[in-house]
Amino acid sequence: MKQGVTPSEVQLSRRRALQLAAATGTGLAAAAATTGSASATPPGRRSPVFGHGVASGDPLPRSVVLWTRVTPTPAATPGSGQGPAADVEWEVAADPGFRRIVRRGSVRTGPARDHTVKVDADGLSPATGYWYRFRCAGALSAVGRTRTAPAADATVPRLRMAVVSCANLQAGWFTAYRHLAARSDLDLVVHLGDYLYEYAPGEYQARDVVVRPHDPATEIVSLSDYRRRHAQYKTDPDLQALHAVAPWVVTWDDHESANDAWSGGAENHTEGAEGAWRARRAAAQQAYAEWMPVRYEAGGQLYRRLRFGRLASLSMLDLRSHRDQQASSPVDPALDDPSRTIAGPEQLQFLLDGLADQQVQWKLVGNPVMIAPVRFPSGLESRAAEGVAALVDLPVPPVAGVPYNVDQWDGYPAERAAVLGHLRDRGIRDAVFLTGDIHSGWANELPADPSTYPLTGDSVGVELVCTSVTSDNLDDILGTPPRTASAAVETAVKVNNPHVKYLDFDSHGFSVLELTEAGAQMDWFVLTDRTDPRAAAVWSTSWRVPAGSSRVERAAGRLR
Amino acid sequence: MSGEVLSRRRFLQVSTAAGGAVVLSSALGAPPARATGRLRVYVLVVDGTRPDEVVPALMPRLSQLRAEGTWFSGARSLPVMETIPNHVMMMTGVRPDRSGVPANSIYDRAEATVRDLDRPSDLRFPTLLERLNATGRTTGTVLSKEYLYGIFGERATHRWEPFPIIPVSGHAPDQATTDALIAMVDAHDPDLVFVNLGDTDRVGHSDLTGSTLRAARTLALRSTDLQVGRFVDHLRATGRWSSSVLLVLADHSMDWSLPTGVISVDAILRARPDLRSSVQIAQNGGADLLYWTGPADRRAAGLAEVRRLVTAHPGVLSVQPPRELRLGPEAGDLIAYCRAGWRFSDPEVFSNPIPGNHGHPATEPIPFLVAGEHPLVRRGAVSGAPARTVDVAPTVGAMFGLGAPRGGYDGAVRKEALAGRR
Repeated sequence: MKQGVTPSEVQLSRRRALQLAAATGTGLAAAAATTGSASATPPGRRSPVFGHGVASGDPLPRSVVLWTRVTPTPAATPGSGQGPAADVEWEVAADPGFRRIVRRGSVRTGPARDHTVKVDADGLSPATGYWYRFRCAGALSAVGRTRTAPAADATVPRLRMAVVSCANLQAGWFTAYRHLAARSDLDLVVHLGDYLYEYAPGEYQARDVVVRPHDPATEIVSLSDYRRRHAQYKTDPDLQALHAVAPWVVTWDDHESANDAWSGGAENHTEGAEGAWRARRAAAQQAYAEWMPVRYEAGGQLYRRLRFGRLASLSMLDLRSHRDQQASSPVDPALDDPSRTIAGPEQLQFLLDGLADQQVQWKLVGNPVMIAPVRFPSGLESRAAEGVAALVDLPVPPVAGVPYNVDQWDGYPAERAAVLGHLRDRGIRDAVFLTGDIHSGWANELPADPSTYPLTGDSVGVELVCTSVTSDNLDDILGTPPRTASAAVETAVKVNNPHVKYLDFDSHGFSVLELTEAGAQMDWFVLTDRTDPRAAAVWSTSWRVPAGSSRVERAAGRLR
Repeated sequence: MSGEVLSRRRFLQVSTAAGGAVVLSSALGAPPARATGRLRVYVLVVDGTRPDEVVPALMPRLSQLRAEGTWFSGARSLPVMETIPNHVMMMTGVRPDRSGVPANSIYDRAEATVRDLDRPSDLRFPTLLERLNATGRTTGTVLSKEYLYGIFGERATHRWEPFPIIPVSGHAPDQATTDALIAMVDAHDPDLVFVNLGDTDRVGHSDLTGSTLRAARTLALRSTDLQVGRFVDHLRATGRWSSSVLLVLADHSMDWSLPTGVISVDAILRARPDLRSSVQIAQNGGADLLYWTGPADRRAAGLAEVRRLVTAHPGVLSVQPPRELRLGPEAGDLIAYCRAGWRFSDPEVFSNPIPGNHGHPATEPIPFLVAGEHPLVRRGAVSGAPARTVDVAPTVGAMFGLGAPRGGYDGAVRKEALAGRR
């Protein structure tokens, strides 16, 4: 999803802070987080050889992916195809001082993979914290911290993860990442997509202000373009800091290639003028494989499942590569076609199998776009209706009560019915969809039968949606102060969709999810001002899913 | 058989608090109740209760027990999600392919008839009841349903025969069952009592508002909750609570369907008389057991065709060989499950008018809690462990220090509910 640009003045950060504090009833928390305090190496000592930081990802009980990018000579700039091959040594240690090194190795990289390095470090112990670093051309990288997953049959008392999505560099600062990096309680970071954006400067930013212009200064189309854009994002110190403190588990949404991508194209792709979609997508995927700490190689399969003992599994979905083209509108008859797919038949079966696994309690789904049905509310004044339509990048529907966003699972109702029916038919409990994409915070139940839900409240799962790190949302589109015009829209959406228990259309920030045997809880944190690099993160709300309930309820307080 | 049974038991008529009379039978030579300071275990089955019904608004006493003890949030019933097989699994700790009891209703090939598994000889595996008796402890059964009383028969030291029986439902109301339970505890004080409270199931089956309001069901839940509370109060009042462990669970859940959500396998096969005449159907609510009775040389091809035809029905979730679900030969050749919101009805679509059904996977989630003031009980905990009905025997057996039966248990000791033994 993308923009609906409405000129308006950018809110002042202090004013924004006061509004947030008033709206949430809380004081400001952690106003000045330090940069990457939990990663070991101060930025000043970092060598230009390792200008893009270090990262880890996809933790398994005995292995984890380690990542970095080297610049062995000044000519070896990202996307240039220049520079020599280079040998990069890596080390994994049981202590931050690297006195007890448990694994080490060497790998060669070069211009063919844009000088990125990706190592699957194995032979590790389950549920164990490690430190890692790289050495190249006489330089040492920053030290990263990572953690292996618990053994598959382990009892895990607690799992805590950051949940983030939609980080548009042009729209603001990645202070959300910095506040998360300052925490010491994260087992992992789940990124649900829109890790970067494809637009040129001026095409999509913070309302009408380009906080930081994109590089290259064009919409990215070629392999070189995508590599440079990835490299630009990875020079952000806040992003580097969060990569360095915990393993990430990532999937892409559309903007890692182009807006509203589907298997044969994208809304923001002009076939011919911008080359062939297949070539553009291949370039985007190759750069993603090179630049992300993920167990994925270009042309392979991104969807995959991780396991955290008996407590949780995490099925990460790819809802762009296999989907049919979006319906043209919420009243498009194509919506009734039972053969239209968002996941593709193989990935759908993969998802159903994961949900039915009785050996694991919480079945988390890394779900790039919303699965809860959302009907366009009636009774909105026209400006608000236009704003909601702009948020989901569609025209205002001619009637209320139709699905409001056909780029989500709402646009593929037959396949969603298969998923929700599976949960109901199999009596599955503790299914939690973690969702991004929509630049807003939601806590939803998933009705077993929408027609009887208002009476029975029967729910087959829940969906927790994190808001955007920076990307525009409703107040930005409407050009109104936060928590003003949007509040009426949120109320209208909730009244028309009673399974939507919490909705914040305005805020930017991040979420933290904790799982225990007794329940799941998500905390939402919002930024005082995404355009202020010193913005505070304020606790906004917390919602809890008692084990076995498939329901969401407001939590008594934030996680401690 | 009856003469032999009579020769091994004696009867005791005791008065209840309400002024009624309860008749209990006991094995001859049963040891007297032990002195205080010991372990008492009560397994209470709140038949057909859903886990989401154990909430303060509907079942305040059970909710209190849930909060005080250990609650298994992901507990499930096992195939076939019916009353008799799950009660048998609770008391044997083994799956139906070892106990011989896969369903309520089977086609008995020897007798060439569809019947309930309600005979003592149907259960082929030693239960916790006689195994505990063999160690010198005493046991009791207070089972509200006639067929449960039938299959568990004389296995416990002390038995109550359900009375009065409500016609059609074939069960005694929870008030009478709880009267009998209290009377048995007062008269004999067994070490283990196995109890079935049948009202929530029986009312659930017949609640025509089950898919929406659940009006009658709600009343039954409150009533059953009162009875459980009455029993707990009695244990407290008589000084037994501090030495008691109370397991409360359901044998299966409940799912409601509308008259439009009905599957008739008979009707599906009617277009193929060759198949229809070669298949017997044993109905178990949300599960149909299908038995090939036709020519042996046509068995494989015929069953494949039956499977294809039944699977094609939109209300059918799956059709598979029973062995995949650890059901023995008694379960026949194919088991068909329906989806949530559907039910089987044979031979006609109106033959099963019951809106509330179970037996299909949607009815696997069950409440399962362990409470009581005995120091064994882990207090104030929620466990996501995969607790199953088959775990009751291993868990209760471990509390009494009883080892596994020959061949071992299929269930697991739920150490998550035991203090200091996780």
